[in-house]
Amino acid sequence: MEHLLETLGRNMFGIFGLLALAGAAFMVAARSAVHSVLAFLFTMLCVAGCFLSLEAEFLGVAQILVYAGGIVVLFLFVVMLVEISKFKQKAKLEVFQTQSRVAIVAVLAGVAAFAGVFRNAIFGPTSPEALVLRPELARGLDVAKENAQAVSRGLFADYLLPFEILSVILLVALVGAVVLAKSERV
Amino acid sequence: MPTMTLTQTLVMGLIQIVAVLVLIFVMVPLLTFAERKVIGYVQVRLGATRTAGGHRGLTGALNRGMWAMGKVPVLSILRGLPVFIADILKLILKEDIIPEKADRAVFTLAPILSVMAAFGVFSAIAFYPGVLFTFPAGFPIVGGLPFMGFISDVNVSLLYIIGLASVGVYGIVLGAWASNSKYPLLGGLRSAAQIVSYEVPLTLSLLVPVVLSGSLNFREMSLRLGTGEGMSWLATFPLMAGFLIYTTCGFAETNRTPFDLPEAENELVAGFHTEYSGMKFGFFYLAEYTNMIVVSTFASGFFLGGYHFLPFGLQRFIPATVPFFGQPSLIFFFGKVFFILFTYLWVRATLPRYRYDQLMDVGWKYLIPLTLVNLFVAAMIRFAY
Repeated sequence: MEHLLETLGRNMFGIFGLLALAGAAFMVAARSAVHSVLAFLFTMLCVAGCFLSLEAEFLGVAQILVYAGGIVVLFLFVVMLVEISKFKQKAKLEVFQTQSRVAIVAVLAGVAAFAGVFRNAIFGPTSPEALVLRPELARGLDVAKENAQAVSRGLFADYLLPFEILSVILLVALVGAVVLAKSERV
Repeated sequence: MPTMTLTQTLVMGLIQIVAVLVLIFVMVPLLTFAERKVIGYVQVRLGATRTAGGHRGLTGALNRGMWAMGKVPVLSILRGLPVFIADILKLILKEDIIPEKADRAVFTLAPILSVMAAFGVFSAIAFYPGVLFTFPAGFPIVGGLPFMGFISDVNVSLLYIIGLASVGVYGIVLGAWASNSKYPLLGGLRSAAQIVSYEVPLTLSLLVPVVLSGSLNFREMSLRLGTGEGMSWLATFPLMAGFLIYTTCGFAETNRTPFDLPEAENELVAGFHTEYSGMKFGFFYLAEYTNMIVVSTFASGFFLGGYHFLPFGLQRFIPATVPFFGQPSLIFFFGKVFFILFTYLWVRATLPRYRYDQLMDVGWKYLIPLTLVNLFVAAMIRFAY
């Protein structure tokens, strides 16, 4: 029993990762848009599980709060209002509903790029010490215990400028969405 | 605290989960009974009167005697109590209907999501900050281990609870969509808009205790806010305002009167659960009442002083040496929870339902600015102290 639990605990990250992958695959393949959103929710929860298994409690919980709680609800909101019956009438079974060739090529290119970039990181020798951007910052805080404090210090003290620039990028996306939505009505 | 092996942790967790589930399954039926009775008494009628305390048997003799004296029998308070057993039996045994055109998988999943989100929250709530009792040494597996007043002591439990509560919206929205019917869809959309709107002031009002206590852990926040340790006495005022705002938003989050637009029966039949029957409906019902308990626990823990006797950090006026009232206790915590649950029923019996535009006005035009001002005041107090 003890041994079993220990093995399970050690492989928790892998289990959640595989579940997240399965959810993502189902999301792409699902026929109904609402099923897609549900699968996406499942994926997001599994990613939160991945974070939790790495003892990054704050990130994991923020993942649930922001993605699973906020963004996916808005997705669902939009999807519910979209007419999806025209997709259902296709009798021919296709994995992708439209542009399947383009999608397959894009996915393969993505896999190739990912493998190229991370080949060394995944299959190469493990580095002797953990990769930390600025190790002197982590020393003062017991990161595993004071998760929220560590993250907030990183965000609002050490990396304030990149953080603000990122939020401006999000604002750009927001403005872009408004512009796109407006131009449709004109 | 002795170190526990993984098996012991697992078994202990299971025991605690079962204890909390039993608590919920006892409180929810009693709450429905209390709802009947409280609303009945507020509206000057007897509420449920048919079961228990009739005219026959031993209790019947007492009742007959009191009626003969022209008085309402004492036992009329308990009348109708056994009805909840019938209620539960009815929900379980009733035919489970899934509409022909419904999306079967999502239709089944929706109530499960609702209930899971509502129950999952309890894993991060601390009912008592310390050890409730210790298992005797001879107990199998968990012998000699302490039974804590909380399931898990998460560092960021407040965020966890808010996040899980927002997952609870899915139950309503998905159930509404999967029913494939007009009224549920309208109810579901209303509900989604309402909950997404009110989540903003709700979370902002919870930031006040976070700012004042400097923690995100339920147990620690509750202890610090209760004793007022390390806080200025001025902190009482933003906590009071925050309590009122939080309770209002909590009413909206749980879809209770005066914010029960998702199930406005004169407009939408029964809102998002129109097509549901049997235990699937029962799950939605259970989730709603469980969420009421969750909101009450929060208000109790963060604003009303939690395990301490006096609310809003006023406990500092009672020294810890006073016997009973100076010490944290489970009784105070649950007393406050019951008080807020009573307020739920009280409000339901008193206030009419908002119109939809009024609902949105209250949320966006009044509550959000109010919470921002309140948060600003709290931050100033924290900064100045």
